[in-house]
Order: sequence, then C-alpha cells, then structure tokens
Amino acid sequence: MFTRSRLIVVAVCLLALGAVLANAPLVSSQGLTITAAAIEGDLPLDAPDSALWQQATAVEVPMSAQMIARPIMPETNAKAITVRALHNNAEIAFLLEWQDATRNDSTLSVDAFRDSVAIQFPLIDGQPFYCMGQQGGDVNIWHWKADWQAALIAQRSLQDIYPNIYVDQYPFADPAVETEGDIYLAAYTDLDYLTAEAVGNLLALPVHLSPVEDIVAGGFGTLTSQSLEGQNVQGYGEWSDGVWRVIFSRSLTSAEAEDVSLAPEKLYSVAFAAWDGANQERNGAKSTSQWVSFQLAGAPGTGAAATTGAAAQAPLTARVAAIQPTGFNALFWGFIALLILIPLGIGVVMLYFHLGNKP
Amino acid sequence: MPDVYNWHLGRKMTYPYPEAHPTKQFAAVFNINRCIGCQTCTGSCKATWTFSRGQEYMWWNNVETKPYGSYPQHWDVKVLQLLDEAHQAAGVQPQWDHSQASEQAPYGVYNGLTLTEASGPNEQVLGYLPAESEWRSPNFYEDTSTGYKGGAYGLSPDGASLPEHQAWFFYLMRICNHCTYPACLAACPRKAIYKREEDGIVLIDQERCRGYRKCVEACPYKKSMYRGTTQVSEKCVGCYPRVEGADPLSDGVPMETRCMAVCPGKIRLNGLVDVAEDGSWVENPKHPLYFLVRMEQIALPLYPQFGTEPNIYYIPPRWAPRPYLRQMFGPGVDHAIERYTAPSRELLAVLQLFRTTQKMIFRYEIEEGPLVREAEINGKPWQMYDDTVIGFDAKDREIVRLSVVEPLHERPMERLNSI
Repeated sequence: MFTRSRLIVVAVCLLALGAVLANAPLVSSQGLTITAAAIEGDLPLDAPDSALWQQATAVEVPMSAQMIARPIMPETNAKAITVRALHNNAEIAFLLEWQDATRNDSTLSVDAFRDSVAIQFPLIDGQPFYCMGQQGGDVNIWHWKADWQAALIAQRSLQDIYPNIYVDQYPFADPAVETEGDIYLAAYTDLDYLTAEAVGNLLALPVHLSPVEDIVAGGFGTLTSQSLEGQNVQGYGEWSDGVWRVIFSRSLTSAEAEDVSLAPEKLYSVAFAAWDGANQERNGAKSTSQWVSFQLAGAPGTGAAATTGAAAQAPLTARVAAIQPTGFNALFWGFIALLILIPLGIGVVMLYFHLGNKP
Repeated sequence: MPDVYNWHLGRKMTYPYPEAHPTKQFAAVFNINRCIGCQTCTGSCKATWTFSRGQEYMWWNNVETKPYGSYPQHWDVKVLQLLDEAHQAAGVQPQWDHSQASEQAPYGVYNGLTLTEASGPNEQVLGYLPAESEWRSPNFYEDTSTGYKGGAYGLSPDGASLPEHQAWFFYLMRICNHCTYPACLAACPRKAIYKREEDGIVLIDQERCRGYRKCVEACPYKKSMYRGTTQVSEKCVGCYPRVEGADPLSDGVPMETRCMAVCPGKIRLNGLVDVAEDGSWVENPKHPLYFLVRMEQIALPLYPQFGTEPNIYYIPPRWAPRPYLRQMFGPGVDHAIERYTAPSRELLAVLQLFRTTQKMIFRYEIEEGPLVREAEINGKPWQMYDDTVIGFDAKDREIVRLSVVEPLHERPMERLNSI
C-alpha cells in the first residue's frame, strides 16, 4: 500500500510539472474574459462618453514590454489597458482606455512618433504566439494611429509644424490643386515624387478613410497592410487629461481570409498592444498583453452577468494611477501559487491513503 | 548571431545575417585633397532626387567642413562617443595591430568593438536618433578652420607648411556608403532594407518601410532619412538607373552617379568592382578602383571601426593632423598620404581618370610617354612622365584618353577676346 501511494505522489508531481512546463495554464491563469455586451440599436462608434459603454463590463488587461525580439525597450509606458466591448449582432465595438501623459499625434517631424494602440485576433483556432503570431499562425491586427486620427479632423501640412518654412515651388506639384492656396498640401501631378505612395504603401496616403489600419501578420517582421479595399475597420480616439480613449469598430463577420470573423457564444482570444510616441515607442518597442479570452454575449443584457473574474471598474480617468501587475508579475505569482498548490494536493492525497489504511 | 568577415578590420565580426555578397559592388574614390567645397554634387543630387515635399531637409549628398561641420550635427562625434562608452564599459582598449596586415587584412587587425558588437542585448546596432534640430543646418561651420595658436591676430609669421598645418580644415564629401554590412539593414525590424545582388546598392523598400526609423538610428553615417509626408524613410539610391545603364545617355553601359559626374573639382571616381564569393575584391590590377584601393592603398574607408565595411574610399588630406585622420580613416593614413604626395608613375596616370567621362571605367591602359620633370619630394628623387591613360567602359570600348600633362592651347593675338 505504501508503494502504491508513493507511485501516486510521483504521478501527481509529474503531472503538475508537465502543466508548469507546458505553460498552458499560466497564460489563462490571469482568468480574464472580455465579454462584448449585446445591445439593441446603433453602437457608440465615436462616443467614448456614451452611457451605452456602462452596459459593458470593463476588464483591465495588464501589459508589459515586449522582451522577445530586438529591438527591445524594457521600460515602456503603458502598464495596463481597460477594455470594454459592445455588439448589436451586426457590428462590434471596443473601447480601449489607457494612461498616456502626452498626446503625440503627428509623425511629420523627423523625430516625432505617434501614440497608437492595437487589437490582435488569431486567424487560426487556438492561440498562436501572442506577439504578432507565428509562421502558420497568422493574426489579424487592428492598429489605431493618433496621427491618422488627427489628420481626419484636420490635415496638417509642413507649415503647421514649421511655421517659417519657405519653398518657392515643388516641381511636379500642381499649384492648381493646392488646398486653400497651401503649397504644402498641393497635389502631385506625378505620384513618383511621393515614392512610398506611388508604390502603394498605405502609410503614405495623404488622407485615410479611417484612423485604423487593418493588418495581417505571421511572426516578427511580417506585418503587412491589407489592401486598400480590405481596410474595413473604423475607429475614433480622443485624448484628455492623460488618458487615451479609442474605439474600434467593424462588422462582426468579414468575407476576407485576412480578417477575423466573430460569432456569438464562441470563445476567442484577443491581445492588445500600446505605444507611447513620446517615449519613441514604435515597432517592437511596445507594451503588449498576453492573450485574453473574448466572447460575444448571446442576448442583450447578459454581458455583465456572463463576465467572471473581472469586476466592473470606474472610468480610467477617475482612478488614481496604481501600479499594475505586469505580465511578468502575473506569471511569477501564478508559478508561486502552483508551487503551494501542488504540495497541498499531494498532502491531501497522502492523507486520504493514510486514513484509508487505518484499521 | 552569425560571424561575417570584414576585410577593413582584418577579422570576423558579428552581424545579424550570414555573409551573402553581391557579384559587383558600387564603390567610389573621393580625393579630399582636390575638393573645393563648391557643393555642386550636393545640388545635383538635390535636383535629381530630393526636391519634393517632405524632403526639404534631405541631403543624400553633403559636403561638410571638418573638424567642426557635420550633417546631421555632430554625427561622427556622437557615434564615436557611443563607441567609446561601450569600450569603457567592456574594458576594451580599441587598437589596430598593423603588424598583422596581409592580403586579407590590408590595414591590419582591429581589436575593438564594432557597432553591431557593442549594441547590447536590446538592439541590433549601437546608434542614436538625431534630434530634429540636428538636421537643421547642413552647412554649419562651413569653411571654418581650427584656431591658430601662436601668432598675433591668428597669423603665423612663417606661413603654413606641410606635413601638418596648425590651422586647418578640410572638406568631407559624403553619400551613402552602400556598405558591405549595412547597419541600417541590420537594424530594420521588417527586413525592408536590402542590398542588391547585381551592384551592392543598398535600398529601402518603399512599400515595406513603416517609418520606424531604426535605420536612421543605426546608420552611423546618418544617410537614412525619414520623410514625414510619406511616413517612411528614404536614402541615397546610388543613382541606380544610371548604374544599370538605363539612362538614355548611357548607351547601355553603367554610368557614374549624378554627384560623381558633375564634380567640377574632378575629385570623384565611381565604378563597380567584382566581388568574390567570400566578399573580397576580385584581383583586377587594371581596374582603377582596385588599383587605388587595394594596390596603391591611397584611398581609405571612412570610420572603418564602425564595422559596416563602407564602399566609399577617401584619399586623406595631406595637411591635416595625423591623429585626427587616423581616427577617421584608420591606420592606413600615413601610407596613403606618403604615396599620394609622391605618386608612382602609374598612380599619377590613373589619377587623371577622375571625372573625365560620365561612363564608369572598368579598365584602364597606359601608354608610356617622355620624362617631363624631375624633382625631390620629402628628400627623395621623383620623376614625372607624360604618360597617356585610356579608360574603357563595361563593353571594353575606349571612352576616354588623357595625358598626364594637360595639353596647352595658346590663343593667337588676333583672337584674344573671342570666346
């Protein structure tokens, strides 16, 4: 009997060790599930103040610096992002809020970088690598850019950032197509002189229809803009008092292979990333979350009830900045918890056999 | 990270990608001694490539006055400082061991850290992003010499004399070096920068670039430049349509770039050298660039210690302080100046080829001429011969023929004022 119990103890230990090494339970040990509350009628696509957002449960997702692929910036500024989601059976909208002391919404200057934020969905069943996916595990990324947003409100020319700029003429710019006489916004008769735009680089377009870029990726360095026709994510963002609030929206389903399609009552994964332009964060120098669970509530009003493990929170603007657990901290405490739980379990099993052996 | 062989340093160094060399390499020799600082190269590049909106501050070609001038401001001093700090942190005293010089290591062996080796765990390349203000004035300190210490009113009673002037400056004309191991390419997280197999020209893919400016940060020579109006970075394209022979004037053979071809001072010689599979230059003594760089060794790379193996070679100025020049061009400076000051018969002929044709010269021949002058240089006898040098294009057709002594044409009295 003693030998049998010892075997069981060993088996339990091995199982626990396997679970730790597989890393699987740790990621989901954050226990975060974002549930898009179902509502009737139009979604608040450009109204972060709308009362409708109160119907969605806010989930605070911890973020930490991307530390795997160079370039690495160990100290990124966004430590957490607060996420709410709504849907109306046709469209989905996310409201993302995070703290950022400065508004950086121009990339015209050579040393200016934008604030931005992204949502990422796997394009396969399961979870590919949480940073940009992996080979054979593509992800769909929605990337909102503060400068694209600002340009939608008012297009800025070089004269706005360099008030004393003076250029006699730009060859091949058509003065007849100047915008309000501003040579710095004049259209070009031949796009070859705006090289990146001429070859179809989406970033180079002078005007964007949405502040959100719809992107596909399959690993580090593979980020690729979807075609201009495939750009179907809308957005709206505004900054005040040190907080960005950004709304993403799209139809629930998409016919494009590079787009995620969402259906009610199904569990998805989603991840988030944010960049602080003032800190020169761009590309891999960013704050990123791990995968968190995401689902659409089935019927109106069930959103809050369906959410477990995440308490409703007051708007970010009203809260005092607190030190948020980073991804590393979550992993660390998860590991400690396992270390305590495993011997405890073994103790229970041993106690069971010990009691069972009593005459 | 893989190891690659850098013949400027005479050793292997770390680089993010394994060795893969082009079949030919875009290269040039710039003779600093002859530059008059007229900026015609700068203007021709501007008028060809960077006259559009968002490129106002871009000078893919610039000429700065050393030691104080630099564009962007203090680029070289800043990179040298970063490298110095990295050496101090690593406890390394960077030195060149010239005693180990060989065919594979013409300048000896450098034991210091390169920019890819000193980058630390978080970056691919040690570098910095210039602030906007540093791009503002490309001609700061133009024609400004160092101060003369000694005579009243900054004047020397004895005048200036070689080998080193006390008050000095020289022009440093710079384009993208189309490096063998480009730092910009190493740093791009998107692999949007590539080196062309056919000529080694380094380009930024305008479609893949997302304007992260990691290349601007990494390039020690600061020749990647960000364009705010298209949100991507651009750089010197080596006038690749001309190099390809696609220009209508080129007659289907490679042509020199615009900045090279316009030079009134005749200081530049541009060409394509054959590159072996191991990255070394294929031996070709009758190729003017091979002759100047590998045989005579009078033209030297700019800041070879950065480790990018740049492909623009400079004939260092004879009058500037040697320690400054050694820092800038490596340990080959003394040899180069000595050879240039008293050029060999063949070198004097090859030096005539600079900026004499728009087409790239792939081969030269020399027809010997008479002895025309005898002199003593640095205590040694020196002879000058009026040889004729002939340049041939990529199709081995004669494209230029010059004598060492420039022909003199005297205008007759009755036509004194005619043009």
